Amino acid sequence: MAIRGEWRRTRKSWRRSADRWWPIARRSWLWLISLAALLAAYTLVARVVARPDIVPEPRDIADAFRTLVGRGVQLAAPEGHHHHSSDQVETLLMQGVTLQAALAVSTARVLFGLLVGVPLGLLVGLLMGWSRRADDYLHPVFILVRSVPPLALITYIMLWLGHSEAHRLIPIVYAVAVTAVIPTYHGVRDVAAKYVVAARSLGARGRLLLTRVVLPAAGPAVLGGLRYSLAIAWMTAVGAEMLMAENGMGNLLVGGGMWSSRLQTRSDPAVIIVGIVSLAAAGWAMDAGLRMLTARLTRWVSG
Amino acid sequence: MTSPRVRRAVVALAALAVLYALAAELGHGRLPDRIWLGAHYVENVQLLPTFRSLAEEGTFLVESRILLDSIAVSTRRVFLGLLLGSAAGILLGLLTGWAARLEVLADPWVTFFRFTPALALLPLYVVWFGYGETSKVLLIATNVAVITLLGAHQGVRGVPAVYLDAAASLGASRWLRFRRVVLPMAFPTILASVRIAAGLAWVTIVVAELIDARMPSLGYLLALAGAYPRVPTMLIGIATVGALVLLFDLLALLLYAQATRWMERVA
Repeated sequence: MAIRGEWRRTRKSWRRSADRWWPIARRSWLWLISLAALLAAYTLVARVVARPDIVPEPRDIADAFRTLVGRGVQLAAPEGHHHHSSDQVETLLMQGVTLQAALAVSTARVLFGLLVGVPLGLLVGLLMGWSRRADDYLHPVFILVRSVPPLALITYIMLWLGHSEAHRLIPIVYAVAVTAVIPTYHGVRDVAAKYVVAARSLGARGRLLLTRVVLPAAGPAVLGGLRYSLAIAWMTAVGAEMLMAENGMGNLLVGGGMWSSRLQTRSDPAVIIVGIVSLAAAGWAMDAGLRMLTARLTRWVSG
Repeated sequence: MTSPRVRRAVVALAALAVLYALAAELGHGRLPDRIWLGAHYVENVQLLPTFRSLAEEGTFLVESRILLDSIAVSTRRVFLGLLLGSAAGILLGLLTGWAARLEVLADPWVTFFRFTPALALLPLYVVWFGYGETSKVLLIATNVAVITLLGAHQGVRGVPAVYLDAAASLGASRWLRFRRVVLPMAFPTILASVRIAAGLAWVTIVVAELIDARMPSLGYLLALAGAYPRVPTMLIGIATVGALVLLFDLLALLLYAQATRWMERVA
């Protein structure tokens, strides 16, 4: 642990020197300038290209956002007022899709995937990290399972389970579980070397060793791996919804319809950009929550 | 005498194969072969095809060159995307890691792309770059670039300040410090991120090809097999993708081992 602490301190000092060159106030200014500059550049490009069906102006995107959250639908466009409309917006409105409902459905799927997949992955990772024998038997099988992209399974699962919620959720659970195994496995194994020998020589064994030494020490690695699982869960959920679901963000992005006919209807980039920005915001928010939770739970580590 | 590790691995994989064969033989004739697909029934579905029918289907797919063509097309996309994406990502990551100003400028955009599920960009890319190669290669490249950017950035930032100070006090210029201290030390982190990116690139491409299924490609093969549905083709397609992911991972590991040979090994 000494080496790790050393490394952390040096990194911190590097950070601090960077902060000294660029004080926080100036950093946030630069941040805003960067954001504004790219938005301005984008607006300029949109003006020059003048093809709202390919590069919509920010005004169109804001309009699409208002329509999708359910405002501005009832408002009849006043005379001369610019109103954004497209096939995709119309299809979505006809199906009664709103941005917040789609986002809620996707978030629920992601959360379900995490709730079921993480314990599953933890269990397998713990077993493989804890027992040499289990590792020898399970690891080759795990490598095979890990190599299969979860979404490639979706049509096969559908044959077994039919068009149901289960066949959208299984790939998400699968993806989350597989990504949760690796950090747990390494977390448990890396601990095992030093602390386990020390604890054993003090007489700890079995359950005591597991709950008081291995699990707390593997905690930070496991929690760090959760952030990765979260990103994978979002990606799989959106992919599954793009392929086959009547709701959720993936469905919003491809504009409804059944999967074989999807992307055949004219897509509206304004809707897609609204969807992408919402997904990025949701992903960022959940990741920030997870980071706070991790910091709270592992306060004792760097203490 | 083989080591217990190898023996156990063989036992586990053999057990898996035997269990599957058993399930397939038992299921033959017992599992439902008429399946409701949401809109209509399909007949003659083998939910668990026996090894015999898998072998027959496999020889057909190989002899008709369908499988090889699909592999070639998908691999080419992944490879191009990986090359393009990691070149851009590593360059940007090194820059943002080395220059604090650039980091702040790039930060909002890196954050944005980092939390965007890669597949969500596909419809946008289709609108901008059309169906076909460009949108798919760029989709992978974007995904890869984000991961390698973070890897390169962390690699540069992981270099202890002491080393840089030592080099500076010996009179090394900024460029020399970057080339002789930062680059070699960041290298393993960068390669590790490329390995992760390669795995995700395959996930991305297969699904991108499933969503926008056309031309010979592995995703198209899977989509086609799902539409009929033809389970042996489906399973062979899934196994092929898995094998390719495994192969790329092995290649990345080899590259990693080869490139970091100069480093001291702890164990």
